[in-house]
Amino acid sequence: MKLPVTSVLAGLALALTLGTASYAADIKIGVLVPTTGGQATYGQDMANSVQLAMDALNKAGPNTYSMVVGDDACDPQQAVNAATKLASSGISAVVGGYCSGATVPTLKIFGDAKLPFVITAANSTKLIPANPGNAFMINSTGNDQVAAALVVWKAKGYKSIAIVNEGDAYSQDLATLAQKGFTDAGGTVADFETVNHGEQDYSAVITKIKSANPDAVFWTAYDDDGGPFVKQLREGGYQGAVFVGDGSTSDNFFKLAGDAAEGVYAFSSPTADFLPAAKDFATAYQAKFNIAPSSYGPLTYDGMNLLADAITKAGGTDPTKLMAALQAEDYKGIAGEITFKPDHTLARSNFVVVQGKGGKWTLAQ
Amino acid sequence: MALEPGSPGPQAVEARPSAWGGLTVLLDTPAKRVVAIVAILLVMAVAPQIFGAYITVILTNALLYAILALGLNIVVGYAGLLDLGYAAFFAVGAYSVGILTTEFGWNFWATLPVAVVAAAVAGVVIGGPTLRLRSDYLAIVTLGFGEIVRITARNLQITGAASGISGIDQPWLYGWHIVSQSDFYYVFLALAVVAVLVSVRLANSRLGRAWLYVRHDEDAAEAMGIDRVRVKLAAYVIGAIYGSIGGAFFAVNLTAISPQSFSFQQSTLFLMAVILGGMGKIPGVILGAFVVVLGPEFLRDLGSFRYLVFAVGLLLIMLFRPGGIWPAGGRR
Amino acid sequence: MTLVTLLAQQLVNGLVLGSFYALVALGYTMVFGVVKLLNFAHGDVYMVGAFAGFVVLSLIGGMVGTSWLGVGLSILLSMIAVGFLGVVIERIAYAPMLRAPRLSILITALAVSLVLQNSVLSLTQGQVFAFSPKLGFAGINIGAVFINYKQVALAVVAALLMIGLELFVSRTQYGRAMRAVSVDRDMSELMGIDVNRVIAVTFFAGSALAAAAGTMAGAYYGSIWYFMGFLIGLKAFTAAVIGGIGSIPGAMLGGLVLGLLESFGTTLPGIGSEWKDVFSFTVLILVLVFKPTGLLGKSEQERM
Repeated sequence: MKLPVTSVLAGLALALTLGTASYAADIKIGVLVPTTGGQATYGQDMANSVQLAMDALNKAGPNTYSMVVGDDACDPQQAVNAATKLASSGISAVVGGYCSGATVPTLKIFGDAKLPFVITAANSTKLIPANPGNAFMINSTGNDQVAAALVVWKAKGYKSIAIVNEGDAYSQDLATLAQKGFTDAGGTVADFETVNHGEQDYSAVITKIKSANPDAVFWTAYDDDGGPFVKQLREGGYQGAVFVGDGSTSDNFFKLAGDAAEGVYAFSSPTADFLPAAKDFATAYQAKFNIAPSSYGPLTYDGMNLLADAITKAGGTDPTKLMAALQAEDYKGIAGEITFKPDHTLARSNFVVVQGKGGKWTLAQ
Repeated sequence: MALEPGSPGPQAVEARPSAWGGLTVLLDTPAKRVVAIVAILLVMAVAPQIFGAYITVILTNALLYAILALGLNIVVGYAGLLDLGYAAFFAVGAYSVGILTTEFGWNFWATLPVAVVAAAVAGVVIGGPTLRLRSDYLAIVTLGFGEIVRITARNLQITGAASGISGIDQPWLYGWHIVSQSDFYYVFLALAVVAVLVSVRLANSRLGRAWLYVRHDEDAAEAMGIDRVRVKLAAYVIGAIYGSIGGAFFAVNLTAISPQSFSFQQSTLFLMAVILGGMGKIPGVILGAFVVVLGPEFLRDLGSFRYLVFAVGLLLIMLFRPGGIWPAGGRR
Repeated sequence: MTLVTLLAQQLVNGLVLGSFYALVALGYTMVFGVVKLLNFAHGDVYMVGAFAGFVVLSLIGGMVGTSWLGVGLSILLSMIAVGFLGVVIERIAYAPMLRAPRLSILITALAVSLVLQNSVLSLTQGQVFAFSPKLGFAGINIGAVFINYKQVALAVVAALLMIGLELFVSRTQYGRAMRAVSVDRDMSELMGIDVNRVIAVTFFAGSALAAAAGTMAGAYYGSIWYFMGFLIGLKAFTAAVIGGIGSIPGAMLGGLVLGLLESFGTTLPGIGSEWKDVFSFTVLILVLVFKPTGLLGKSEQERM
């Protein structure tokens, strides 16, 4: 009996395509960020970064990713509305979370909907107890950053520092941790100031800082005010060292601070131009969106890729398997290595010290 | 007092406009009005079953705004006091609950009386300095108080500073753990109904009439024996209590509160709700609240353009219907 | 530095900040005087002015350089352009509302504010732009207090603008017409004053001042973004009320007073930058308790 070779071959081919097709899925990912309101720059930047990651992932296949953006406008109630909407739009997981205050109430919503949530920017310690078990934070909390800072300050022999924050959950948290840490280590916080987000005149605060004459000034908030602040600080005649936190480590900082950015230290996850992968990201981002990426672009890019990696490892988007896969992850992103502690925060602090030189961040010391 | 364009002449004060406004043409008998109300309530009662989680959540949000707008309506609409810092009362309620439950372990229901008392005190403190002020100055003072409350909440440790208070326990009521989105929907629906009933009784009470007279002509009202100070303070206190109760339930609904929810922008949203719907009229205020909440929500598909579209829409509404969207006119 | 130096320096800081507040407060107070409207959109006009100045400087920077001349021209052109924008806004949004209830026009102003903010947000994706003219860091020393040339220029320009406005209002025909309309609009109309014209001129002047302040703020502080009008709008409104809303000298005084309150509030040990806004608002409230129409406001018999 002659085998109907062509039909068998056809059948095999069909079976193979069907077989592989069942592993290639259309996956929708929710992105919860502020795209309106005072923090829109960062939210938009994060959404763009996810898009960039998805473009690359879609090109490589086999899964096709698309995103559904939910605008939390950095407001807790809006965040709840957006999260509820996202949870019922057929998504398999969520990436994002910028304003800690707005993100906290959404944890329960995503938890109840069994959606893994990779939090790429919000890093208030309040998120940890509020986590029902589905959230994974890939931005180191303030504790790690302060630890890195204390090492540097001790090495440089600083006796007194001034700390400036913006009265939002992130910068205030970092500032108070730094204050406690430095005082416990025997130093003096000569001046502790709070400025309003978007209020451009820092002259009174700067005069006060000059009068207190600290060895260093530590700005714990974001680049959009950090740049002008550092500029005014130098113009005002302050000669000491200047440090900024990881919220100010974007390229835009240099544009806003101008020459004053020269020699400014920063604590950053290692994303700066000395990592080829990060450089590629920045170039691709610039090419697609015509603006430079902002502070949390690289982390969010990593967050999306981490999720995709976990989906591949879990063999799909089943929530339990996916969350287990995320917990077990050891992923090397452009912002450093990502592994998790039992409480779903980063196991290893990524912070390095960088310094502004010639308009770019380079590794210090 | 000079006759302002838009203000009714002295003789018009006696014929009070119906709360139903222009709809009195359609709903001309009390029976029809009752049917309309029952119909609306029935639809609201089954909404969570029909529409799902997302709609339930935004309707809950809208009901919260309706309660707050009704409270602000007492201050602005009934008593004619332009309050630009209403979020302060909202904050007082929310933080009272937040602090007492998380720091001191109180039961939610025990914190409610405290929230009410705190609100009353806040109402007197905020209302006090404004008593002699003209409407625009009053606006800036209330705005100032709103900011003072927000910044204080941001600075103090007991209010959780900028990170706020999280992990607020959700209440039990005789074996019913109020926890899910539809649970809170029904709670807010009940509160809204109570808020409406109280507002209606107030409008028709002696106090309501006193507010009307003070709003139209303070000196004449004084001459008639109305104590201006007590009447105005009463408006603030009652408005504050509405705001505070709204805030208390808001806190346990979200389980986390932070200063961002009590900003000047929030206060302007409440004011928008009151005025958009047609000042002073209860159905209009509720409609205004729903528009202010549901508008941006239904425009979510437009992404970051949604507030632009909402703003343009708002502008067009105000240009074509300056009296608010509720049909005007109609007398009892 | 010594206490005297500290206080003197804070005095300078307060006056500079106060100049910005005063310029924006003037727009609020003029519009209020003539139309009895709290123009919530005014702060956003300041923001649009900053962007206009930025755009102008980018365009002409190649030809005239980005130093004093370039900045000066940017301010001028921005003032003209945004002045007209102010008139357009008034025609479209406020003119139809003049007979409507007071509170409605307030919400209209809010809507205009949101439209301006969100338009710029959409156009700029919320990005913060660096405004970097080359103005140098040199300055003069008075004792141990350092005042840089930018601050001097700012103070001078602000003073010139305010003096110019005061002269316009008190010496010219339009100015007199403005004052007449602010006292009694209907009467002025009956007396033959073209009220619509006057209102348009008022909006032009107020918006132009805000645009000047915005461009100068951009050049002085170095950054602009779509939300920058909100805070200053709030502060300037407060300043206008402290000084007595409707009074032009009141707005100038109120602006300077608020700037000094913030500057000294930041310095005082019990207050500091954390509480300075609470401090400013508390002072405002106390002022109004004792002087219900503001520092220079006209005491009125009627209470509304």
